[in-house]
Amino acid sequence: MSEETYTFRIQRNTPTGNGRFDTRWQEFKVTLPTTSTVLSALEEIKARQDGTLTFRQSCRSAICGSCAMRISGRTRLACKTQVGSVARDKVIEVGPQTNQPVLKDLAIDIRPFFERVRRVDPFLKDGPESAKKVTKTAYDQVNQVTQCIMCGCCYSDCTMAEVSPAFLGPAALAKSFRFVSDPREGMKTERLEFLSQPDNMWSCSRCTMCVEVCPKDVKPMEAIVKLRTRGLEKGLRSGVGARHALAFHEDIQQNGDLNEFTLMMRSVGLGGTLAELGSALHLMKKGKIPSPFPHKAEKLGELRKIYDILEKNPLDVETKAAEIVPE
Amino acid sequence: MKSHDLIIVGAGLSGMRAALEGVRANIDVAIVTKIHPLRSHSCAAQGGINAAVDPRDSWESHAFDTVKGSDYIGDEDAIQIMAREAPIVVLEMDRMGTPFSRVEDGGIAQRAFGGANFDRTCYSADRTGQVLLHTLWEQLVKSKVPVYEECSVQKLVVDGAGHVAGVVALDIKSGEVFGIRGKGVLIATGGYGRVYASTTNATTNTGDGMAIALRAGAPLGDMEFVQFHPTGLRTSGILVTEGARGEGGYLINKDGKRFMDKYAPTKKELASRDVVSRAEQTEILEGRGVNGAIFLDLRHLGRQKIIERLPQIRELAIDLEGVDPIDNPIPVRPTNHYSMGGIRTDKLGFSPLKGLFAAGEAACVSVHGANRLGGNSLLDTIVFGKVTGAAASKYVQDQKLPEFPQGAVKEVEDMIGELLRRPDTGVKPAAVQEELSNALNSYVSVFRTAEIMQKAAEVIPVVRAKFKKISLQDTSRQFNIELVRAIELGHLIDLAESIVKGALARTESRGAHFRNDFPKRDDANWRKHTLAHWDPKKEEVVLSYEPVRTLGIPEYEPKERVY
Repeated sequence: MSEETYTFRIQRNTPTGNGRFDTRWQEFKVTLPTTSTVLSALEEIKARQDGTLTFRQSCRSAICGSCAMRISGRTRLACKTQVGSVARDKVIEVGPQTNQPVLKDLAIDIRPFFERVRRVDPFLKDGPESAKKVTKTAYDQVNQVTQCIMCGCCYSDCTMAEVSPAFLGPAALAKSFRFVSDPREGMKTERLEFLSQPDNMWSCSRCTMCVEVCPKDVKPMEAIVKLRTRGLEKGLRSGVGARHALAFHEDIQQNGDLNEFTLMMRSVGLGGTLAELGSALHLMKKGKIPSPFPHKAEKLGELRKIYDILEKNPLDVETKAAEIVPE
Repeated sequence: MKSHDLIIVGAGLSGMRAALEGVRANIDVAIVTKIHPLRSHSCAAQGGINAAVDPRDSWESHAFDTVKGSDYIGDEDAIQIMAREAPIVVLEMDRMGTPFSRVEDGGIAQRAFGGANFDRTCYSADRTGQVLLHTLWEQLVKSKVPVYEECSVQKLVVDGAGHVAGVVALDIKSGEVFGIRGKGVLIATGGYGRVYASTTNATTNTGDGMAIALRAGAPLGDMEFVQFHPTGLRTSGILVTEGARGEGGYLINKDGKRFMDKYAPTKKELASRDVVSRAEQTEILEGRGVNGAIFLDLRHLGRQKIIERLPQIRELAIDLEGVDPIDNPIPVRPTNHYSMGGIRTDKLGFSPLKGLFAAGEAACVSVHGANRLGGNSLLDTIVFGKVTGAAASKYVQDQKLPEFPQGAVKEVEDMIGELLRRPDTGVKPAAVQEELSNALNSYVSVFRTAEIMQKAAEVIPVVRAKFKKISLQDTSRQFNIELVRAIELGHLIDLAESIVKGALARTESRGAHFRNDFPKRDDANWRKHTLAHWDPKKEEVVLSYEPVRTLGIPEYEPKERVY
């Protein structure tokens, strides 16, 4: 096994009271096999170079979710990341998760993250929509999202959470899908109604960052898309997000292009559009407002073909439950 | 001062399952845990949970396998409770929401595990512990049980009459030391794997609950029985589930040959863990290993089965050993895994110390005796979380709140304050822990002799003396992990002493405790439990013994264990 000497550039955050921090970057040199994990490097530094270096860790096997931190520009589990795979010119930069308050060095305050998870009522509920019997494939939808270990990588790198702290976030939404897609769950519609409210499932911008950074292949954004599909199927179409999606769909299907002017009207209504008038005038000055008249894309037939394929292969959002049989 | 009827220490499967019983009994129950509940090491259990849920199986058969697996030192009353309750608690978990893998007709899927006469291990792919843990946390959130998160319990407080009166804890986040009054304390802090240098356990598995109970006057039972899992990854010691062999995986040596038929002709790779670990170690010692490891070969299972049933194992092998089991065998070796010993209790989880209860790996009930069967630890945590949680909840309803002794909080505060203010001595806690855990690894392992174990016995007073001289670099109060680990090191030393003394004294071979100098089981002299007590005057561990709780059932009579 080949060894290398790596430079770890680590963000140190020392609490100085009243939620303030003395933040600085400190470098440590460590010689390790290239296949060692970032966590073992941090442990080596803590044991032999600087006992004050603070980070959370526990299982060392990517199942407890303690050691999520920013490593070379992405939030990753330190125990699952090999040093050789993230070093740039033998330098590895390590910092705390973002979008969340720091406690000390690489340890963040995990309470706001779990507060968001609590908001989705993260437990199975009895109710009118509970199936009485499950089949072999009953958990095909559930199994993807129950891989989640609540490490927070997705939330730390979520581009929407960065600009909108009120956003529920990918982990909480994936957790919600875990129940909505469970045949035994009795309150699926009630959950979808909650998720249709502002800052919940319609606030995701579908940037796919959460899918990319998730160390457990949970694919939170896919769960969010499935939740939206189910919401629309249940007739939950009155929120801004749903209306925007439907208007978008209508434009593309008919014209192959968007009419931003009417799209706005259809999404947020007349009041909402008027409220945005200031921004609109600003945009107009810069020449950013397209023509308010309908305009069509060329080769609409090609588009029709895409729609045909999508309609023949719909997104699989079905919960696989047996027929509800009276006991 | 904060106060609750029942204080549960630890938020893994046992602790959370016990808390739900407190809720059911309508008492004021709270959990204190040094890590967030979802970080608990229960999540790392992979393979499954044993329960006779199939009509062709029976709880009696499960109980028999467990008695035999324990090498006839498990307490038979407790084993019967566990086997009988197993199908009930598994179906309860299913109803709470655990997504168990299913068979065609929707029933819970089961796989083969070591030492069992039936394919009795219910599972959810290879992450059974994780889904069980998340399910119980969901129920905990639903029940609104107060949880003191990231608060490490430092001391079990006992009143003048010898009754437990609460705990003193350190809030890791703020550094504040505080007391919690209680009518009862239930310890569910899991095992102490970090006593060993190479272990499947999390770095937070430092046996804190066992150690504070020992110091408060409760005895620890059977600490010499330490399980070595046959398949820890060579480099990191990370667990590869027994389910990999349950699904048909082979163990092979450097010549690519299966060897288990030599050691366990019938069960082969699925003999009990003590037998398989000794077989592997023998292969390695006789020169048929590679760099201290033999290999787990899954290639013949095929890509599909590996991806469907063992996805996490595949990821871990790739990430941590650089081996994809679809194409190559995984290097593994016997690795410290589980403590059969723990706080000695009766079949309901009562310890001899009034008001103290224990459940799960922290307890020695004892359902595992000298060797635990795979799939029985998740079961133990949930059955005895439930049984002990219910017993403790009932107990505290009849109790008055004991007086919390003056000075208990200050005593802990002073200890921490002194440690933080201590001038630099150059003795680093991490180095002291390495010395201790290397000694246990080298001298109190799969094969033991008096001569070799004596070396470990000699290391303990040396380490204890060094521990008194350690100094910290981090002298701050907030989130001081160096401080937390230094305190844990004190716990590890007490537990190591209990293990070494128990093992030296037991001049026989039974279950996981194998002595080359006493290779036979000796039922006439040693079919009894070891109790380790803390002697505050001598400042060391002393031993006593008590009989096994037997039921006089002819099938449970000791026989030679053959697999």
